[in-house]
Amino acid sequence: MDISRRTALLGGASLLASPMIARAQANKVDVVGVYSLSGTFANVGDLLNKGTVMAFEHYKTAAGKQINYTLLDDQGDAGRAVRRVQEAMGQGVRHVVGCTNSAIALAVAKEVQARGGIYIHMAGADEATGSQCNKASFRWPGASYTAIRATLEPFIQANPNAKRWYSITGQYVFGESLLTNARAVIQEKGLTNLGNSYHSLGEREYSGYITAAMAANPDVLAVLNFGNQTVDVVRQAVSFGLKRNVKIVVPWCTGLDQYQAWGSDIVDGVYFGVNYWHGVDGPGNRVLSEVVRAKTNGATNYLQACGWAVAQMFVEGANKAGSLDISDITKAMEGLTYEGPTGTETVRAEDHQVIKNYYLMRGKARSAMRDADDFAEILQATKAFLSPDQAGCKMG
Amino acid sequence: MQGQVVLFQILNGVGIGMIYFLLSVGLTMIFGLMRFVNFAHGTLYLVGAYTAFSVSLLTGSMWWALAFGPLAAAGVALISERLILRHTYDMPHEAQILVTFALALIFQESIVLIFDPLAKNVPVPSLLSGIVFIGPFVYPAYRLAVVCAAAVIAVLLWFVLERTRFGAALRAGSESTEMVSLLGINVQQVFMVAFLVGGALAGFAGTLSAPLRGVEPFMGSEALGVAFVVVVVGGIGSYTGALLGGLLIGIVQSVASSLWPEGARLMIYGAMALVLLVRPAGLMGRS
Repeated sequence: MDISRRTALLGGASLLASPMIARAQANKVDVVGVYSLSGTFANVGDLLNKGTVMAFEHYKTAAGKQINYTLLDDQGDAGRAVRRVQEAMGQGVRHVVGCTNSAIALAVAKEVQARGGIYIHMAGADEATGSQCNKASFRWPGASYTAIRATLEPFIQANPNAKRWYSITGQYVFGESLLTNARAVIQEKGLTNLGNSYHSLGEREYSGYITAAMAANPDVLAVLNFGNQTVDVVRQAVSFGLKRNVKIVVPWCTGLDQYQAWGSDIVDGVYFGVNYWHGVDGPGNRVLSEVVRAKTNGATNYLQACGWAVAQMFVEGANKAGSLDISDITKAMEGLTYEGPTGTETVRAEDHQVIKNYYLMRGKARSAMRDADDFAEILQATKAFLSPDQAGCKMG
Repeated sequence: MQGQVVLFQILNGVGIGMIYFLLSVGLTMIFGLMRFVNFAHGTLYLVGAYTAFSVSLLTGSMWWALAFGPLAAAGVALISERLILRHTYDMPHEAQILVTFALALIFQESIVLIFDPLAKNVPVPSLLSGIVFIGPFVYPAYRLAVVCAAAVIAVLLWFVLERTRFGAALRAGSESTEMVSLLGINVQQVFMVAFLVGGALAGFAGTLSAPLRGVEPFMGSEALGVAFVVVVVGGIGSYTGALLGGLLIGIVQSVASSLWPEGARLMIYGAMALVLLVRPAGLMGRS
């Protein structure tokens, strides 16, 4: 075999360079974010990813190592998300954050656990810290149980005459989960459930469902879906004059971005449940708000806060552990208390659910808004979570 | 009471159907005349809606948007036709689908870059922000205004297509472009004007829909799906078919959301399948 002088020099240079690469790698920690930058959920994934990027740019290091963040675009497909995570973990990545929907999070959680990594996400389905919880996965937001309990219970207490309920529900796992929890509360409180209209995931025209709801003559209309479908149902319900004699409750709302999509005329007088509000005063939220305002010249929305929160949890866990070893971080995160976007937040050790506030809000009239983002007031902040036993979490 | 609800759902369906008619009439006109499969048609609806959003934000008035929305969509249609699409007229349908689909994606992602991926609000004009009572039911005044506007457009279109020289050329062109060409009519010019009118109508639909549904970057693809269903149900190339198809789909969707809510969306496609089984060329199409 002939080896030219050029090849020999290149080989020698590589040998000399390789310890330097190893040293450089030793000073870094690779973290991947799993988000949908294309496909059905692209509008959500983009902002979630931006929140994560802002957090890592802010914290810069975890356990003394520089954070090297890479985005994996799953295109809204759980199968693709798993494949992208497999590829990344095959190259040595062990730290994974983010998801755009629950199906993706549940699929990725299993994969990350099987490959010995750690995964911090923002799935909304109860199962993520319930029947499908696992040792490697942590969840930041309150899920559907939290949303319903923290929204409906204080609402019912404040509106004792609102006895007759009707709901419009997205016919998918998350919508079903909201509906099941809502029916339980309605039954417990001795209220009347007049009926429910399901709509499909692809629906955009809701006037027929709203007409059916109006015909039932309810006191309360509960909107049990998510994303743009929530925006469309509420907009069309208000346009049909439902606010005249029906109270509208939206237990799962993303807050500011959806308020902006509605405008104050629609938001006024409607009740919302939100996981995050930019106006919450606390050290964690002050840092987040300053960073987001510096980057975007605007207030923080839920999606940015979610993206930030999962990244912050990773940094806080690694810093507490003083190590990037997965078992060290996992141990450090169980019971971890830190100043997060909603105030003091604690990671429950038994099911890896972050115990945090969920807010019941009521939309303000335009005349009552102090600034362009002051769409709603917080009526109550509640930490309402299923116990790990109730949720069915058996940590594996 | 159930009978009253169904009756009202039919009335509501007429309202939905008139919007679907506006959305699909341009598509059927272009396909009927040129046999051109335009997957970028939803983009023109998107452009109309985002123009409405921008203009109402800048001027604080939706009325200006009603003029600028269709104009912007017509402008996009014209530029696309002159620069790109006319070069694909002689290509197979697969190539047309590929090119127009690419155009749709480019516009969609441009909207994301210029604005952002989140939904935006377009306020209903204050004059039309109330409700009107129809027996025991209420109906949004703006929706009623949209139905009236769509009805006026339908009459105007009928007049143009049935009573003008241009309409005669369009109708003749949908039968045989070669014959029209032999009669001395500039077919390329007719194609261009058809694109312009089709674009303006889709833009008008987008503008009118913006206060009803808000705007978001992915609304074009959803609109395209509905438009294709209406065109297929009504009969490809038929103006009357677009009207009947739009009304049928709107009524089926609205009534189903009372009788079988979880299947309301599915019923759109069920209705299409049924029509195709009974009349394979659509309600007003000719085989």
